[in-house]
Amino acid sequence: MIMSEQTKPGEPVEATAASATEQVPDWLGNRLKRMFTDVMDEPVPDEFKDLLKQLEDKERGA
Amino acid sequence: MSGSSTSGADGPGNDGPQSGSEPTTQPPRKPSMTGQDKFLDQVTALLPALRAFGRSLCGDPARADDLVQDTVLKAWTNREQFQTGSNLKAWLFTILRNCYYSELRHRKFEIEDPDGICASQMAIAPDHDAKLHLRDLSRALQELPVDQREALVLVCATGLSYEEAADVCQVAVGTIKSRIARARDRLVELLGEDATQVTGSLAGVNSLSEPTVNERRSGVS
Repeated sequence: MIMSEQTKPGEPVEATAASATEQVPDWLGNRLKRMFTDVMDEPVPDEFKDLLKQLEDKERGA
Repeated sequence: MSGSSTSGADGPGNDGPQSGSEPTTQPPRKPSMTGQDKFLDQVTALLPALRAFGRSLCGDPARADDLVQDTVLKAWTNREQFQTGSNLKAWLFTILRNCYYSELRHRKFEIEDPDGICASQMAIAPDHDAKLHLRDLSRALQELPVDQREALVLVCATGLSYEEAADVCQVAVGTIKSRIARARDRLVELLGEDATQVTGSLAGVNSLSEPTVNERRSGVS
């Protein structure tokens, strides 16, 4: 589901990816990606789990 | 003689359709509940990306997490507006971006800076060794105008397409491209020294890890 959002059939996925790498040099693109994935690799703080739990409970209660 | 042959022909003919007619029996489900659970599950799965996007927008981990919390609440409140099957990631990024911009607007009214916090932060990077400090990419990003920063991050870091990024920022695809071009030029300028080192050897990419956000504070106090 989440994976499919970027790969709808008929969309020029390859072309888009290619033009992004044409526009930005590899060293910069790689560093941007790594900066991003470094944060993504961090454990999500508990406050978010609490918030999601609250919303879930609300949904079930309502 | 006749009895056995007719029953033999009828038997399998009657049995076949009865036994194999409905192979799929669907277990009873509550469609509305699974729909909502799915929404929250998907939001949960996207939290890491939201935190990373928020942080690259504002440059401050704690502030970014506040933005993400606001985003999750707003998304949940307006979940009816989200169309199942469309891109939840782009939708959430749009909400986060809106949260960030409205926060920026509020901050402008509070710019009086009674505690001198802004002034002290500005003193961190004097011009002459700005280049040294800006070896840190996340810091360099904050040097960019926000519209360039978000375009660059959305396309080059989050993996959104140009079209999706254009939707998130509510501008034309061409605008996204020109913003990325300007952001790239500025970053090449700011990080140029690093660039020559990194392109020199591919193996060096990993060793030149991003310094943490609060590095190089020592000279200030």
